[in-house]
Parts: sequence; structure tokens; C-alpha cells
Amino acid sequence: MIDLGGGAAGKYVSQHTQERIRRTAVVLTALLVAIFVSIPVYVMIAIAFQPSTTTFRGGTVSLLFDSFTLDNFVLLFTDTGTPRYLFNSLLVTASSTLLATALSVAAGYGLTRFEFRGKTMAARAVLFAYMFSPIVLAIPLYVIFFTLGLLDSYFALTMALTGISAPFGIWLMWQYFQTVPEALEESAWIRGAGRVRTLWDVVLPVARPGTIATAIFAFSVAWNDFTMARVVMSQDEMYTITVGASLFLDRASIGWSETMAAAVLMSLPPFAIALFLQNYLLQGFNVGGLE
Amino acid sequence: MARSIRLEDVRKEYHTAGTTHLAVDDLSLEIPEGSFTTIVGPSGCGKTTTLRMIAGLETPTSGSIHFGDRDVTDVRPQDRNAAMVFQSIALYPHMTVRENIAYGLKVAGVPKAERRAAVDEAATTLQIGEQLEKMPAELSGGQQQRVALGSAFVQDPDVLLLDEPMSDLDAKLKAELRVEVQRLHKEMDATMVYVTHDQTEAMTMSDYVLLLEGGRLAQFAPPGDLFDRPVSQYVAEFIGTPSTNALPATVEIGEGGPVVVGEWFEIPAPPDPFEDRIGDAVTLGIRPQYLSPDGGDHRVRVVVDVVEQLGTEFVIHGTGLDGTHINVVDESVGDATASDELDVGFDAADAFVFDDDGRTICHGDRLVAARSRPNQ
Repeated sequence: MIDLGGGAAGKYVSQHTQERIRRTAVVLTALLVAIFVSIPVYVMIAIAFQPSTTTFRGGTVSLLFDSFTLDNFVLLFTDTGTPRYLFNSLLVTASSTLLATALSVAAGYGLTRFEFRGKTMAARAVLFAYMFSPIVLAIPLYVIFFTLGLLDSYFALTMALTGISAPFGIWLMWQYFQTVPEALEESAWIRGAGRVRTLWDVVLPVARPGTIATAIFAFSVAWNDFTMARVVMSQDEMYTITVGASLFLDRASIGWSETMAAAVLMSLPPFAIALFLQNYLLQGFNVGGLE
Repeated sequence: MARSIRLEDVRKEYHTAGTTHLAVDDLSLEIPEGSFTTIVGPSGCGKTTTLRMIAGLETPTSGSIHFGDRDVTDVRPQDRNAAMVFQSIALYPHMTVRENIAYGLKVAGVPKAERRAAVDEAATTLQIGEQLEKMPAELSGGQQQRVALGSAFVQDPDVLLLDEPMSDLDAKLKAELRVEVQRLHKEMDATMVYVTHDQTEAMTMSDYVLLLEGGRLAQFAPPGDLFDRPVSQYVAEFIGTPSTNALPATVEIGEGGPVVVGEWFEIPAPPDPFEDRIGDAVTLGIRPQYLSPDGGDHRVRVVVDVVEQLGTEFVIHGTGLDGTHINVVDESVGDATASDELDVGFDAADAFVFDDDGRTICHGDRLVAARSRPNQ
């Protein structure tokens, strides 16, 4: 007979020890992921904030901080189209985020609260649409925008980006509205509030975490987009920062240092959002079952 | 202004996936203005659906609903001047208690100062003055329910509807709030309709009780009538705890006319309506409270299964000799133990006789009347 130690269920490990092992494993995993994620960020910052003469001195890359400069940023703003790219990005991101969020809230509410023919089909189609890679949509959208004469316009890029972010947003809001008790709305109706007023006074405030999660998602799709901007925009002054920065290295006067500085600029808005809205993001995605 | 609520042939069907579910079946009744009516019945009998149709949250498939002289069948819930307290309480989590109570007034465009005064008054009445600036999540269940009642109170509705508002509270809070709800009813000029599955609530609070059975009206009467003069075996068994005992019996011809004969008893019955029912199987209904070891003209033998103590009284769950389940509630049966045989008696005046379909043939008073002239 094999000696199984403590109990019939197997070798006995105390609760205390189990807890310690669990916690150590969590910390180790977190540490590994953190290292993996922060090294590239460190490289980006180290190159962006030092003169290229220091970084690339002697033919090798030196990533230790021993000087500090903002020259790379100054050069970006004076010698390149960066200000224009940033403006384009901000404009298109803002309008697409607004549009996608409004669309998601409206469609999500409709899917949750109204019965109509083909509702299940519509819901499935939405999720199916989300599974397309942007590049699959890019070519047809190009043809559509070309036919309509809308290429090189903010409007076209806004629509294209909304097309990518709205399906997931609709799905998320649909899930979220299902957690808002119908009795809240009914109670408002009985007290005299119409459907629109109820939506405004009761449903939207209660669904705010979901709405914010949707907006953050739409923002990150639009801000980080490369494919759609590359396809829809063909003039330099219409490029977004992602497309603009990718072209820097083609030019002789711009090097790695300036490119990294542009990368820093690009990371600032997502960083700020993650910092201030992370609670909403988690709440929203929890409901969507995406822990 | 309180208004009467009249339902005429109200019917509600739900269609799901090709099947039709009949939730409310040709319900007609008039709830008098200013009264307190309880809708009671087992789960799925259509009581909440009925209430939601009165509120306007559901539209009847056919039939009409009137508040006083006004036909409200197709009137939106916003325009019915009703208030409703929901089972889930339904407080707005993002508003303070004060904002919650005042929301209806705000929608109605009542100026801020008046809103303040109304909320303060309601809060004093309901003893939630201290809680006004808190958020609903900070309140206990009982306090949340008081806030919900307060919201209804400030609206001065014609009709106040309550949908199982206490089902999630513990017994002590329930008793407290029961008093609160009755006090509100006295202070408000509103017709109150209260849905519950708890017949004790129904019996203690209301002027009228509407008992539903599978979407149909079983009986609509004051609580005392439901208890003493049930129109069917279903009503007799639903109202009162423990449930009314149902003893099988037959109608036979005795010396002085028809008699209702069971395993142990033989009760003289009036010729009308029993003469036409000679040989029929009937059911004798007798409440456990009216069975007692001492006294009673007719006797039943019970084999004791379980004895429960309810304060000063004891409940015996037992079996009759023919296998029927029989309950006895009495103060003097506490020392009985399982498998004891116990003889209990009852008076014909306390019995009901039901026919084969469960409809009441007659109540105890008529049985007694038959007995006083035995040689007719």
C-alpha cells in the first residue's frame, strides 16, 4: 500500500502553505509580465529623452540615462507634420468615440428592451461583424469611399473607425443594459417620466460604467488605428499620428530618437485614460463576462 | 382623490415560441374607492400580471380597466396618477434618498421648495428623516422599503399599487412595515392594491381580498368571508394555516332526510340542496382550529405523525383512518406523541361541504339549521 501521507485525498498541504504558494505564484507572474511590458517602454523613454548623439555613441545603443533633453520633441514640432498629425488623430478619435458610444448605447438599449423580428439575427450579426479583421473591411470601405468621393476626409475615417469599434460596443452595452433592472424604468414611468426622460435620468446614469468602458474601447480602436487611416487618407496633411510616425524613418533628417519621441506622444492619451478610468473599464468588462 | 378600480372581462395572454400562456382569464370585479385590497394566490396565478395591468405596465389582451369613470385601458402608465412599490424596491442607486423620494415631483415640475417640504413630511411619517442625504445602498432593507413607500406617499396618487413589497424582509420587519402600510393607507386618499403570496398579510391588512386561481377569480370578498364562507374547496384550503382538512364523505338518506356520512361522522343535512345529491361523493371541510379533543358533536380519529409547538398552541399533523391528512390546532394536545391515536371532535356549524368539483354546497350554518328540525 502506498503511503499517502496525511489523508485519503492525498498528501496533506496546510491551508497556510497553499495560500503562500498561491500568493507567491501571483506575484511572480505579475512581476514577469511587468518586466516584459516595461522594457520596451523603458527603451522608448530612454531614447526619446536623450540626444541621439548620446544614445548611439560609439556605434552601439546605450540605454542608460546619463543626459536629458527635449530636443527630439522640439524637432518633431518644428520640422515635421507632427502637430498636424496629432490634431488629425485627436479630431478623428474624438468624433469616432462619440459616434460609436452613442450608437452602442442606442442599439444596446434597443436590443435589451424591445422585441422585434430578427432580433437574435441582428445580435449575432453584430458579434460576427466584430470578428472581421480591419483589413478585411478596409478594401470594401475604400471602394465605397472612393465611389462616394469621400477619400481624404475626416468623415470617412470617422465612419470607418466607428465601423470597427461599434459592433463590440453594441455587444457590450447590450450585455450591460441587461443588468439594469427593468423595475427602475417602470418605476420612473409610473411617476410620470416618459421613455426618453427615463433613459436620461435613470438608465444612463446606472449604465455609466458600461458606457465609459464602451467609450474607452472606441477610443483605443480609433487612437491606435493604422490600417484605416492608411487606406482612407492619402495626403500628408490628413495623416494621423500613427501613419505619420511610421513614415518618419523614410526621411533622412528624422532618426530613431524623434520616432521614439513621437511614440511617447502617442502613448500619453491612452496612459492618462488607463490611469483615471481603469475602475470603469474593469466594471464594464466584468459585466461583459470578459474578466 | 381615491378612485375605484373596475376590471371588465380582463384577459391577458402571452405568446412565446408558438405557445399561448393564459395569465389572466376573464377577470371582472370592482375594487371600491379608498379601500385596501389584497391580491393573493400561489405563484403563477396571475396576481402580479393583474397589478401590472392596473399600473399600465402591461396591456390587457382584451377587456377594459376603469379608474372611477375613466377608461384607462389604453392610457400610458405616466398618465394614470398611480404609484407603485416594486418587489425589488427599485430605488435609483445614483440618487440620494431625498432625490429618490422627490423624483416623481421633479418630473411633474413641482418647485424645489415644495418638493423639499413634501419629502420632509413623508420622511417624518416614515421615520427616515435621518437617512435623507444618504445613498440607497447605505440603507438597510427595511429602510429602503420605507423610502419606496415615501416615494409613493409624496405623489398623492389615486391608486397605490404594491407588488410583494415585503417578500425579502424578515418576519419582524414585515410586521413593522405592515403597520406602516396600514397607517399610510389611513393618511392617504388612495385606493390601495397589494399583491402578496402570504395569506397572513392578506388577511390582516385588507378590506377586501382577491384570491386568484390559475388566472381566474376564485373569490373576491372581505377577509372574514373568505375564512368563514369560502366559495370553494380551493379558497378554504388556501386561506388559513394550516390548511383546511378535507374529509371524504358521501350523501346518504338518513331517518330524517339526507345526511353527510364519513368514516366516523354522520351529519344531518338540509333537503335543499342535498336531496338531489343522494349517493354523491362530497368533501367535508373543517379547519384545524375547530378540531378539539374535548367537545364537538362529531368525532374523527387521528393517528399523530408530528407535533409542532406554536407558542401556546400545538399543531398536530396526523392521518385519518382512511389515510386522509388531518391537522389539528389546539392548546391541549401538547403531550401527544407520534403514532398516538387521538379522538377529536367538531361542530357541524364550523364545517363546509364541497361537491366533487370543489365548489361549496353549503356552509356550517345551514347544516346546523337542518339539524334543529330533524324530523322534517
